[in-house]
Amino acid sequence: MSQCDDIREWLTLYLDDELRGDERVTVESHLAECESCAAVFSRERSFLKTVREGGKLYVAPPELRAKVQQMLRPSRRSRFSWMVAAAAVLLVLLLPVIVWRVVKQGNQPEKGPAGSFALMAAETHLRHVRGQLPLEMESMSPQDISSWFVNKVNFSVKLPNYQESSGQEKLYVLEGARLVNFQNDYAAYVAYQMKERPISLVITSASAVEPTGGEVIAARGLVFHYNAIDGLKVLTWKDRGLTYALVSDLEERGQQSCIVCHEGTKDRDFIEPLKPH
Amino acid sequence: MTTDNDAGFGQAAMEYIDSLYGYALTLTRDATEADDLVQETYVRATGAGNRPDPDSNLKGWLFVIMRNAWLNQLRHKNSGPHFVELDLGEPPGAATQENPHVVYLRKLERQQVRDAIESLPHAYREIVVLRDIEGFTYQEIATVLDCPAGTVMSRLGRAREKLRQRLQPRIRRVDYGLTKEGRS
Repeated sequence: MSQCDDIREWLTLYLDDELRGDERVTVESHLAECESCAAVFSRERSFLKTVREGGKLYVAPPELRAKVQQMLRPSRRSRFSWMVAAAAVLLVLLLPVIVWRVVKQGNQPEKGPAGSFALMAAETHLRHVRGQLPLEMESMSPQDISSWFVNKVNFSVKLPNYQESSGQEKLYVLEGARLVNFQNDYAAYVAYQMKERPISLVITSASAVEPTGGEVIAARGLVFHYNAIDGLKVLTWKDRGLTYALVSDLEERGQQSCIVCHEGTKDRDFIEPLKPH
Repeated sequence: MTTDNDAGFGQAAMEYIDSLYGYALTLTRDATEADDLVQETYVRATGAGNRPDPDSNLKGWLFVIMRNAWLNQLRHKNSGPHFVELDLGEPPGAATQENPHVVYLRKLERQQVRDAIESLPHAYREIVVLRDIEGFTYQEIATVLDCPAGTVMSRLGRAREKLRQRLQPRIRRVDYGLTKEGRS
């Protein structure tokens, strides 16, 4: 291969600023001496100049720019993300304890009629289990599911990586998510599995509905409403502007196993005071 | 993450919104989907625990996030990409005192370049945008596309060859009326 052939193979790399030191010097020296290669170089440079000047035409629309700026505003974003994340972490921390307590007390009479959100959550759970309500997105990633809800619901859903970050054995897995109708608006539906049993989490804005009915139990500054609906255990509560409903048919034994797992972790101090007496 | 860090990150990240929007249009070929993809990218970026420093390669990191978000969307969608007429306005700073005829021809040339890029197969279009429009290095492109740098070189070479074939006859026609400087 002649030197011209070598140099012409390098011309693109040179124009892309991918050559360093001696390689650059070699190309530049050759171009200064070889008219033929200099002509090829000139054509290639002209072509790339045309492409590079002509291609960049897009400017983000003002509406998009405003939305992103709002999203990046530090004080509001940090505080809100923290609040929602904290609520979600609390949900995961409390899940085994609360469901265990619901199971223990599942045969006791209700203290009041189940609220509309709890009924909707139970119905949604049953429809999903029957295969009548397929997931719109399937993922085991909390981030992917949280992102999927962006611009689909008028509140922020941010599921935590609690299990991954705690390093303990996985007690549950995420399956995916979908939108469900509630009071002429969308609520967020997230499907989990715990020991091959389905768990549903439904989230909506607290301005849309407040949890009511059932047995009321206060724990750690939150008020939980427990209901037994069609054999399901439904827990609803409100926190930081969102209303949650957690639905499962988990058996008592499974929940006790979960508590054992949690008792062996750093969460023990948090969970201990919440155990049913 | 402190509020000061958030503010610094937000300000730095906003600088790339036009580039991200252009890349989103390249990926989705749909203005509405591009809009959503840009927002999802920023949501993922602000929620990420491993944010790079604003003075490191923040742009490349945002592009990686966007591409992963887009791939994730594709996996969960049945519909293919939609085509849409894009609003090709003047780029920022394009205002000029030049002869209106020359301005018109340059605008026409830009349109033809954009049309030629748009007409490329997806993988070629994407790599041309990353290198020639966004100015990423080969290694940065390899990171965004999650492929070896050698693949970047060979794919870019093929993409430019196709682009040259599609572009040169058109540019020559436009170039006919330009000054000598325009033909350099």
